[in-house]
Amino acid sequence: MQSILKRTIFYILFVGLWEGLFRLGIWPEYVLPSPVSVFKTLIHGFQNHTFLIGIAISMKRIAIGYGISIVVGIFLGLLIGRVRLFEETLGSFFSGLQTLPTICWLPLSLLWFGLNDRSIIFLVFMGAVLSITIATDAGVKSVPSLYIRAAKTMGAKGWKLYLEVIIPAALPHIVTGMKQGWSFAWRSLMAGELLIVCLGLGHLMMIGRELNDMSQVIAVMIVIIVIGILVDRFFFVKVEQRIRERWGLTKR
Amino acid sequence: MSESVGVENLIDAERIKVDGEPQVSPGTNGAWPKLRVQHVSKTFQSKNENVYVLEDINLEIQQGEFVCIVGPSGCGKTTLLNIVAGLENADSGVVWADDHKINGAGTDRVVIFQEAALFPWLNVVKNVEFGLKLKGVDGKKRRSIALEYLKMVHLTKFQHAHVHELSGGMKQRVAIARALAMNPEMLLMDEPFSALDAQTRWILHYELQNIWLKTRKTILFVTHNIREAVCLADRIIILSTSPGRIKKEFRVELPRPRDDNDVTVAEYSTRIMKELKSEITKVMKCEMDADSCVECDIKCTTEASAKTDIGGGI
Repeated sequence: MQSILKRTIFYILFVGLWEGLFRLGIWPEYVLPSPVSVFKTLIHGFQNHTFLIGIAISMKRIAIGYGISIVVGIFLGLLIGRVRLFEETLGSFFSGLQTLPTICWLPLSLLWFGLNDRSIIFLVFMGAVLSITIATDAGVKSVPSLYIRAAKTMGAKGWKLYLEVIIPAALPHIVTGMKQGWSFAWRSLMAGELLIVCLGLGHLMMIGRELNDMSQVIAVMIVIIVIGILVDRFFFVKVEQRIRERWGLTKR
Repeated sequence: MSESVGVENLIDAERIKVDGEPQVSPGTNGAWPKLRVQHVSKTFQSKNENVYVLEDINLEIQQGEFVCIVGPSGCGKTTLLNIVAGLENADSGVVWADDHKINGAGTDRVVIFQEAALFPWLNVVKNVEFGLKLKGVDGKKRRSIALEYLKMVHLTKFQHAHVHELSGGMKQRVAIARALAMNPEMLLMDEPFSALDAQTRWILHYELQNIWLKTRKTILFVTHNIREAVCLADRIIILSTSPGRIKKEFRVELPRPRDDNDVTVAEYSTRIMKELKSEITKVMKCEMDADSCVECDIKCTTEASAKTDIGGGI
């Protein structure tokens, strides 16, 4: 209760300070809009559906790109984690690649796919896939061999061993990787949308910039932050909590 | 003397070796032996020497028999169990389960490990269902079988609990239920109770005996605890260390369920302990003076062969 109160006071002060700075009139409105006009733009944006369409388009892109990266990332992670040859070759290659900022894939992506959706989806995919691969690899390597031996004596073989034992046992690591991958994917998506102009939230920000409408830019920024928080709270935090309960990692 | 306390010294290590090819003959009730280990040897390479973990092990276990393998630490008893389980390969020799040669792990021989090896992502009843699910048993039937065995280990109340909410003893009971649910031909138990406290172990000895009386499963049980072996087994096989050989066999014919603290059980244990003492000293010597281990091994081996005869008089 105390912390909620503190937080509320903090946000009221923050918005108050912002409004105060605006009222001082040091900067013109196209540099620093008032919180009121940002709020109005937000309402307006949702009323005429432009924000909703933007959100829908961006979410579709990240859903496809991130979805593919989960499947591919887990598959590659299993390969590297279980097969010596792949560990020695792909493993080092991927950890090297991960140091490359995702946006560096943009030129190639443009050449390969052109100025369109697929190019952005590729960026999203590249943003998330390596984190998921590397985390899955670490997860697979940390699976106690006892689990595998026990499962083998109970008849687990081949892909069933992976599906029923190795993947679930590596799940805590995989989820951590997915969380990290999500944040990379989200960043890549925004970068891609800002640079490749074809709808989406990033595009809405660019429109704001071109029209000198800073309140639209900030309104879209707020939408992006809120989506980020919602996904974190309602997906990753929940999943992690369930895993902690199952594995008995919560402090009681 | 041996008659009065019921300890029968069946075969000593020498005779097993002399026998050569074990005869494939029907067992006591006209059945084939459940398990036949023939000339199994296993060597590990350490830095500059070969460690003979198992040397020419020959063993037969009949249907429904409860056999304990006892030996000092490092004598290869777990290796032997792993070979029977199909989790490790022998360098030479053959293991037969019923009429087929063992080649890899199989659901006819389920292992219960020292740590329960329950899967934390599944709750208790789903852990018990695990093997059945792999077998392709449908959901409803799976659940009813799992619950039946959970009832046998008195854990019905905890069917929806997470694994980490259970105590060590409860985990082992779930592991036993999980193994029994597979309806295996044979249970292989690798020091399953050695990580538990004495009271829990006492309870589980009692429960395991009851389960065995109810199900009459063939059980191969590895332990370093002689008292435990006497409490549980029909037959106790003593394994010597470096090289790991069968040193002696004892038959325990006491009424069940037996109690760890029973006087007769204690008396048996003392007798077997005497047999094992030389082996334990051998291990101690090697552990205390690791630098001269090779030299020690030679000494130990000669000492052991000398002791075999002395021990024969029980």
